[in-house]
Amino acid sequence: MTSPALRRANLESLVEAQGACRATPPLLLSADPYFDLAGEEFGRRLLLTTDTTGAEYCLRPDFTLPIVKSYIDDGVGEPAAFSYMGPIFRQRETGPAEFDQAGIELLAQPDGDVALDQVLTFARAALSIFGVAPDIRLGGVGLFEALLVQADMPDAWRPRIRNRFGHTEALDRLLARLEAAPDAPREKQPSRKALVADITEQMVASGLSLSESRSPEEIADRYLEQQALDAAQVPPATLKLLREYLAISGPVLQALTRIEALAARHKLMLGAPIRTIRRHLDRLGEARVTFDAGFSPRLDYYTGIVFEMTGPSGDILASGGQYDRLLERLGATAPIAASGCSVWVDRLEAEVTS
Amino acid sequence: MTGITLAVPSKGRLEELTREWFAANGLVITRPGGARSYLGAIEGLPDVTVRFFPASEIARELIRGTIDFGVTGRDLIHETSESGPASVSIAKPLGFGNADVVVAVPDAWIDVTHMHDLADVASDFRGRHGRWLRIATKYITITRQHFARAGIAEYRTVESLGATEAAPASGVADIVVDITSTGSTLAANGLRVLEDGVMLQSEACLVVSRTARWSPRRKAQLDAVLQRLGTSAGF
Repeated sequence: MTSPALRRANLESLVEAQGACRATPPLLLSADPYFDLAGEEFGRRLLLTTDTTGAEYCLRPDFTLPIVKSYIDDGVGEPAAFSYMGPIFRQRETGPAEFDQAGIELLAQPDGDVALDQVLTFARAALSIFGVAPDIRLGGVGLFEALLVQADMPDAWRPRIRNRFGHTEALDRLLARLEAAPDAPREKQPSRKALVADITEQMVASGLSLSESRSPEEIADRYLEQQALDAAQVPPATLKLLREYLAISGPVLQALTRIEALAARHKLMLGAPIRTIRRHLDRLGEARVTFDAGFSPRLDYYTGIVFEMTGPSGDILASGGQYDRLLERLGATAPIAASGCSVWVDRLEAEVTS
Repeated sequence: MTGITLAVPSKGRLEELTREWFAANGLVITRPGGARSYLGAIEGLPDVTVRFFPASEIARELIRGTIDFGVTGRDLIHETSESGPASVSIAKPLGFGNADVVVAVPDAWIDVTHMHDLADVASDFRGRHGRWLRIATKYITITRQHFARAGIAEYRTVESLGATEAAPASGVADIVVDITSTGSTLAANGLRVLEDGVMLQSEACLVVSRTARWSPRRKAQLDAVLQRLGTSAGF
């Protein structure tokens, strides 16, 4: 009945039917924005080349960044919607490769929830063209942030924990360290002034600039904060709460019920973000949906809800969510609602043939 | 193709120690053309061709499979390619050329003693300084792997092919990933290795390529040589 060409044409029509502007960013892009935004970890996946001045370029590794960047360059503010389909290039274990991706980006939409629903609907429609009824994995970045703000702990620990959210091992190591925190009384600390003087002397002696990199004041402040943190421990009850929360993973309704019970026990107000997740479930219909409390992309511009859709082979076929902090990171002066997703066309085709 | 190729570091202390180690195990490597020639042999083993290469090229060619076995550093196997360790088999560590690939920060960073401190500093570095934390190193692959494991993504590497320890003072980078055997060069430049900052313990190894074309005959030739050296290919 269907052929690869027909499925591709149907996907093409779906991309065109999003009421969005079709975006076709250049294949050759400056590499710096990618390193700036995503750091070395993503950088190692880029196919790089250098021009005669030494400036680095990469073959387009995704659509989101060039689309969002050109939106910002054109002057932000107006709601905008973009859709795309075309090749991207990434290094993988066995060598460089070209993949096709399709997706949508909804920017500055008046209602972020409606936008996310459109994104979810698009992803499901794309998968159904290839006959895939997906397993959907949801993560709650907004939910975790709401829990973290309310959990009882010294403020300085919150960004440290947030920064590790989504990296299971790093977060586990931090919690283990906090659980093992020593009770030993601290020695009296030197004054900040004395510390700054010491550090300055040390930096000058080894020829370090006092302003180009970390300054003596910054080092002294963090040193003192570190000492204070060792003294100001995260209460064991909070650590237990975080452990219990992060371990929650399973069918979405059960998982949310467990989170509600946990919130009730710890007197946390998580009603709003949980209700938001429930609302989106209506859009997901009969799909198998799991909620994984510890799931988040490792990039700190994600907010709200994130998702992944997998097929029978276990490959991730679509991923996306809300990233309201992305535009700010790329130079916008205020947070701007953003959501979107991309689907992996080659993997979808592979699901059909397998 | 008949016969097998052994690659030996082409100069310096590493060449000397390699030839001494083979001699101590009863195999004499000859270099008839002297230090300017890059072709040699092993006395009494006509099946084996010896080629002299820089150690980093030996690692690369072992991974590609254009050399059958050779002597190179474990660090170079890991650095040359993410798939390097899987593409070769370490037949025998040779007990020389020992050095560690380490993460070192300015000694003045008294608040940074472990990788988790570095994670905290890296995470808000951009907010404070308008740029990413910069790491000078020639070990870009190893750095990326190790930092990914430590959960640190917020940094940039700056490639440094020599005198890496000078990078923080010259303002090229904030910290370094470098190779050191005693740590004295780092210390002399006001740098301190983090307490959990050893990323890789390296030494010279006899390494066999898994990706070379191993016909039964060539494999038998290899096994015979390795047996005389008291080891085996491991595959």
